Amino acid sequence: MLERGSVALLLGNEAIARAAIEAGVGFAAAYPGTPSTEVVESLAEVAKEIGMHVEWSTNEKVSFEAAYAASIAGVRALVAMKHVGLNVASDILMSSAYTGVNSGLLVVSADDPSQHSSQNEQDNRWYGLLSHLPVVEPWCPRNAYRLTKVSYEISEKYRLPVILRTTTRLSHTRQPIVYEADVPREVRTRGSFKKDVERYVLVPAHSRKLKEALMKKWEEIREDLGVEPFISIENPGLRRAIVASGISYAHVDEALNLMNMRNDFTVVRVSMPVPLPVKPMKELLSYAKSILVVEELDPVVELQLSKIVVEESASVELYGKDYVPANYELSLEIVYKSIKAFLGEEPSAPWSGVEPVKLEPQVPPRPPTLCPGCPHRNTFYVAKVAANKAGVRDLIYTGDIGCYTLGYLPPFRVQDTSLEMGGSIGVAHGLSLVVEDTVIAVIGDSTFYHAGLPPSINVVYNGGRALILVLDNLCTAMTGHQPHPGTGLTATGEKAERMFIEDFLKSMGFKTYVIDPMNVGESIGEFVKAYREHLSGKHVAVVSRMKCALEVLRAARARGIALPKYAITDACTGCMACVNLLGCPAIVVEEGSRKPRILEEACAGCGLCAYVCPYDAIVVSREGGAGWRELWH
Amino acid sequence: MALKRFNILIAGVGGQGLLTLGELIGNAAIESGVDVTVAEVHGLSQRGGSVVVHVRLGPGSSPVIPKGAADLIIGLEAIETARYIDYASRESLVVMDSFIWPPPLSKHPSLKQIVGELSGRVKLFVIDASRIAREELKAAVAANVVLLGYSLALSKEFRNYVDLEAAVKAVRRVFRGKAVEVNEKALIRGYSEGGSLGVK
Repeated sequence: MLERGSVALLLGNEAIARAAIEAGVGFAAAYPGTPSTEVVESLAEVAKEIGMHVEWSTNEKVSFEAAYAASIAGVRALVAMKHVGLNVASDILMSSAYTGVNSGLLVVSADDPSQHSSQNEQDNRWYGLLSHLPVVEPWCPRNAYRLTKVSYEISEKYRLPVILRTTTRLSHTRQPIVYEADVPREVRTRGSFKKDVERYVLVPAHSRKLKEALMKKWEEIREDLGVEPFISIENPGLRRAIVASGISYAHVDEALNLMNMRNDFTVVRVSMPVPLPVKPMKELLSYAKSILVVEELDPVVELQLSKIVVEESASVELYGKDYVPANYELSLEIVYKSIKAFLGEEPSAPWSGVEPVKLEPQVPPRPPTLCPGCPHRNTFYVAKVAANKAGVRDLIYTGDIGCYTLGYLPPFRVQDTSLEMGGSIGVAHGLSLVVEDTVIAVIGDSTFYHAGLPPSINVVYNGGRALILVLDNLCTAMTGHQPHPGTGLTATGEKAERMFIEDFLKSMGFKTYVIDPMNVGESIGEFVKAYREHLSGKHVAVVSRMKCALEVLRAARARGIALPKYAITDACTGCMACVNLLGCPAIVVEEGSRKPRILEEACAGCGLCAYVCPYDAIVVSREGGAGWRELWH
Repeated sequence: MALKRFNILIAGVGGQGLLTLGELIGNAAIESGVDVTVAEVHGLSQRGGSVVVHVRLGPGSSPVIPKGAADLIIGLEAIETARYIDYASRESLVVMDSFIWPPPLSKHPSLKQIVGELSGRVKLFVIDASRIAREELKAAVAANVVLLGYSLALSKEFRNYVDLEAAVKAVRRVFRGKAVEVNEKALIRGYSEGGSLGVK
């Protein structure tokens, strides 16, 4: 690996990973989730070289528990998750604040303002206030690199987990990083657990005392950490001030430069929004008369500052969400306008874009779609055709979190709900007990291991009528094809015990069908049987197993195996069945043409279109090489 | 001390090599001793969706280009270039592949319509980068690097931050094995195509 002094163009997430390595982290765990995934993924790539333990845990709660355990046994640890992952891990988060750490523990929470790839826009800085744990918020990837290392120091100083809050923009922006240190020669990966029931056994008698001790630490942090690099004050002493938390500082910095107003404001850069350090804020209130707080999403800093204003009886005008939007991520453009509005000026920006394109037809939206060859397309087609054949008319599909969520779109429309990880089965169970429709829970393989087991057990235990469909594409596809317990591989590529989804379901009492949706006709037949059995009153599940097409394409390239290609012949009548039933991006209808065409470079060779063509007009144009079929399984 | 940042918006479809192009320009900046941010903006982290990469050369850390502030737009696909055209101002240079890849089940404007509409708004240059990559270089995925070479040749301002030599070094940093040679060729091919237009 690169040594001290090297420069690398790192994503914010990679910068955090490199800093963790330099800090001597010996244990890292996570469940993948955008935008957090690359933190632990980059650690997994070098884990063997460094001797670090790195794992994809089955969910965020489990990953937190594992990393926490390492830290109390004296091994520096890291756990990373997307913002909603911390909801899953919130139970142990709250407890860990009471029991505290021994070696440093960093909890990376990657929030997703603008909801680029999430079901909500929660601001996880609140978790700091809820758990009484410090939250560190970097303002650029370079700063994330520095603050990660500093966070380990404060974690050990106060014996508390530290929450490092990033956002999608920071996690997914690259910046040149100059490495300040080498990879340590030896990393501490073994420790020892010193028993202390009064500390680690949270019965009320113990936890009441621990709560008091936690609040003492909390006050110490508020008092002590109002210093660089957590707080930095530029141009102190001015009447007008801007307080900017996290990445908002980068926007404020550039906006003020563009306005030529750098010296007209005191600028307070906040890298510890929770708890907001008191001393520098008191100092600010001694001279500033008008303050704008710029922060993304909720008024976390603003509310804490307003409390200090009251305590100090300061005569100051304090603004925040009055001018800075509370929805969506901030940007230079938005912050520029917010500052203009704060100054009482027209909130306009100095840039003027050309008119958007106005054409007929319009520029069509391009949401993410199921890839060419995606196994979910096959499964959705099979499930729908089978429902028809089995005479199942009124169907509710409860959905879950993964690529297959895209199944809510036409032409499939096989996700009527999608709320949170594992929600498909729990919601299906409840619905099945109160509605007449047939309810089918559609859940991915990784999501099933994450949060699908308890609600599946519940279906059987409490007499639910939900049919469970597990889409097993043999990886955690949406976040970048990480392995899971059904793959027989660990995060670092070691062999692991392979656990089959059908074995779990069978042991719970589900009659479980395993289908290979590449064999379309056969799978439809099996699925029809499954529906009939379900209608007869049995607990039924279907596991549909076919590998993610992106993994297949990668393996085919690596092993030099050609996949088959399909083409449309003159027998095509232009009925558009393939286009309208499948929505495959590799099938296009060109301008002026009444017949579809298959883009050869995009076709993955799954053959589903050939199956659905009523005129047998879609044929293999290039045979697959020896062993191509095995790549899909 | 308002220092100008040079803003490049890269637009296209997931899987076309946009992120790699962003990484290339970012590494070329490192080779040139220029600070840079490269922001990857994509939805559900999967293929097939609309993707944009914001590259900002010069000092500063705010990653996203304001609408109207792109100095250069590199469009890997026509519909996506049209979608993000409001990031350009009248002075912006827009370099676009003639490749059009409509989303499934969509009604969409034609390439000709898009070119007509854009050329009235910005300084538009269209190049058959995908065809060149596929037919001449036998590597369809190298269209992105052809476009980079072409853009460098067409924009003196871009070259003030990153020159061809730095771009070649970046290719060697980012790619491995056979891909180095193919992409070097793609870069030079695009650069000479742009140079032949005689634009200063």
